[in-house]
Amino acid sequence: MRHNWWRWGLVLIAILVVFIPSQLWLKQRITQYKSNYRTPLNPTIMVPGSSASQNRFDALITQLRKETKRTHSVLKVQVAENGRITYTGSIKRGDNQPFIVIAFENNRDGYQNINKQAKWLNLAFKDLVKTYRFNHFSMLGHSNGGLILSVFLEKYLAATPRVTPERLMTIATPYNMESDSTTKQTAILRELIKGRKRLPKKLTVYSVAGTENYSSDGTVPANSVNQGKYVFQNQVAHYTQITVTGDDTTHSDLPQNKQIVLLIRQFLLKETLPSKDRFPVTTQPQSRDASDADLP
Amino acid sequence: MVGWLRELWRLNQRVGQWRAMRAVREALRVAYPFILVMAFVDVIGQGFLSKSGFFFQVYHVGSWLPGIDLWRQSLQAVSVVVNGLVAVMVAFTTGHYLAKIYRTEPLAVGMMSALAFLTLNVNYDALGQGGHGDTDANFLEVNLGPQGIFLAILVGLGVGWLASHLMRWLATWWLRHRQVTLSWTGRVAWTLTVVLGLTVAVGYGISWLVDGGINNLVYLALQTLNTNVGHQGLRILAVTAVSNCLWWLGLIGPIDVAGNSSVTSLQNLAYAVQHGSGWGAPYPVTLHTLSDAYANFGGAGMTLALLIAVWIGSRQASYRRVANQTFLPNLLNLNEPTLLGLPVLFNPILFIPFVMAPAVNIAIAWVAITWKLVPPIVYPVPRTTPGPLVAYLGTGGDWRALLLSSVCLVVSVLIYLPFVRLLNDEGSVDHAA
Repeated sequence: MRHNWWRWGLVLIAILVVFIPSQLWLKQRITQYKSNYRTPLNPTIMVPGSSASQNRFDALITQLRKETKRTHSVLKVQVAENGRITYTGSIKRGDNQPFIVIAFENNRDGYQNINKQAKWLNLAFKDLVKTYRFNHFSMLGHSNGGLILSVFLEKYLAATPRVTPERLMTIATPYNMESDSTTKQTAILRELIKGRKRLPKKLTVYSVAGTENYSSDGTVPANSVNQGKYVFQNQVAHYTQITVTGDDTTHSDLPQNKQIVLLIRQFLLKETLPSKDRFPVTTQPQSRDASDADLP
Repeated sequence: MVGWLRELWRLNQRVGQWRAMRAVREALRVAYPFILVMAFVDVIGQGFLSKSGFFFQVYHVGSWLPGIDLWRQSLQAVSVVVNGLVAVMVAFTTGHYLAKIYRTEPLAVGMMSALAFLTLNVNYDALGQGGHGDTDANFLEVNLGPQGIFLAILVGLGVGWLASHLMRWLATWWLRHRQVTLSWTGRVAWTLTVVLGLTVAVGYGISWLVDGGINNLVYLALQTLNTNVGHQGLRILAVTAVSNCLWWLGLIGPIDVAGNSSVTSLQNLAYAVQHGSGWGAPYPVTLHTLSDAYANFGGAGMTLALLIAVWIGSRQASYRRVANQTFLPNLLNLNEPTLLGLPVLFNPILFIPFVMAPAVNIAIAWVAITWKLVPPIVYPVPRTTPGPLVAYLGTGGDWRALLLSSVCLVVSVLIYLPFVRLLNDEGSVDHAA
């Protein structure tokens, strides 16, 4: 029994050797969980273009529901000029891939208006995050909706630090407004290029253009859509440009164009399509879904 | 109380006289050193080298140990061989000792029972598949490891008894009808034919009924019981108690279905990540938050508490020796060597605290969690985390959980102590090591 003291000492040392490192590990592990954790809720935020209401995507959504055989509940949001937000529809319980359409009372075109709309989008976005507590989402913008989303990403998203955007698809978004020029930059393009460093580094962007002829979809010049590369290329993780031709490729038909619906399913909703419908990509955009925290 | 303990003691003595019981204890005694070595291999392999090991993560072993894959693979090789065949060894030793008691051919009977055990675990589904490629293993390998120990003991006892009697009967029959002694080869060969014929028939019959052999039948039943526990305290208590009873019988493992990755645990984790702590988690009372956190120190039956009770109260040199030898594996929740070495398995006296200690702890934890004295564990912890730290780390470092763990440990030691003292009176019958 006279050796008891060193035995107890040994026990004490053993406890410390286990306890202190585990303490450090714990801290590290929890921050890791917090940064890697992704909510099951993974909404797609849709923003229509100028002169369109929150019902702009109804045809697209009906089409998507029919093809994907999933409910995809829809929440429609309208932001008034004074910032008041009205909701119609709802996100159904258990639906983790809902669509949220955000439209604006003032839905006019023009540099000033687009900037205002981005600010309103931010108001609605913050309210949505607070209500539904998602921490990752994807975006779909049609026409000027893509500009509103881009401005929002550069100017306002940083204010909601723990929410990460994953994918952005813009359909016929005129990054250089209605200008056909490849050299002259309009105000909105200049602004987007100036702020491009603030774009989320892990974002994947798809810019889809439709063309009726070699230069335009009837409303937006192909050259203007092309200017998007000066904003996104080398700023975000992946930037892909896709051009769709054929039937239903006029500017306003694009969101429900069959080809584009397939692109939305494949790239934005990350569905696995049958090979005949799949857009051939040699290097599949790297999926970040798999890199979840490894559970023991 | 004392009278009751005396009754228990008398029961223990009576059971200890049974031939079968003596054979089982001897068999476990022989298997113990092998399992002990394996436990240390597992301590290093699972605790320090495996990616999900506690010490691997805490000490960041991967970043400073060169050639980690080499270490892993070589340890795995040892582990696969010995850990994977523990049950076969137990079948052999049980048959061997029973034959010794019946004074027939111990070695031959031991081998027979090992073979019989193997025939029960042949992968009958793989046999008819022809030779194109590596379709399936020839044996149901999982059943040959620790979780096959119960079946191995049964087979060892059955074959030991049958073969011993058959041999003796054959010898006399031969002598009477042929007027010559039956040769040793003849006795063994005829007996082996009968035994294998029987076990193949049984094994094949069962493979028609269920995939995975006899063992799987039991495990399937248990798993359905386990996976549907829901979150009522009483059912969790019952399931854990049943599971511990089975551990005591040598049916090791089925409780493992509970764990970090069940749906409720993941939802709790999601909640904790969003809210910063486990307070108010959607599923505060589950098998994981009660049993894994507070009733599993050292593994099933709170064997860590048993070891401490042995240190405090046992005068049996063999017990103290086993306690010292198996402390480290127990700290990492690998308690097979303790169960086989002490032995806890088939020990009528230790059965009561083995089932009671976890049950009492679950009750304590349940009260503490429902009264909101401690938050439930929400963060995943490695399986090899030292028992008393599981709750502390799982709650994200809540000192109240650590306090509750210590309370649980002390209570369990107190539950074990009178039974360990009772075993002090055990005569010079040497059990272990």
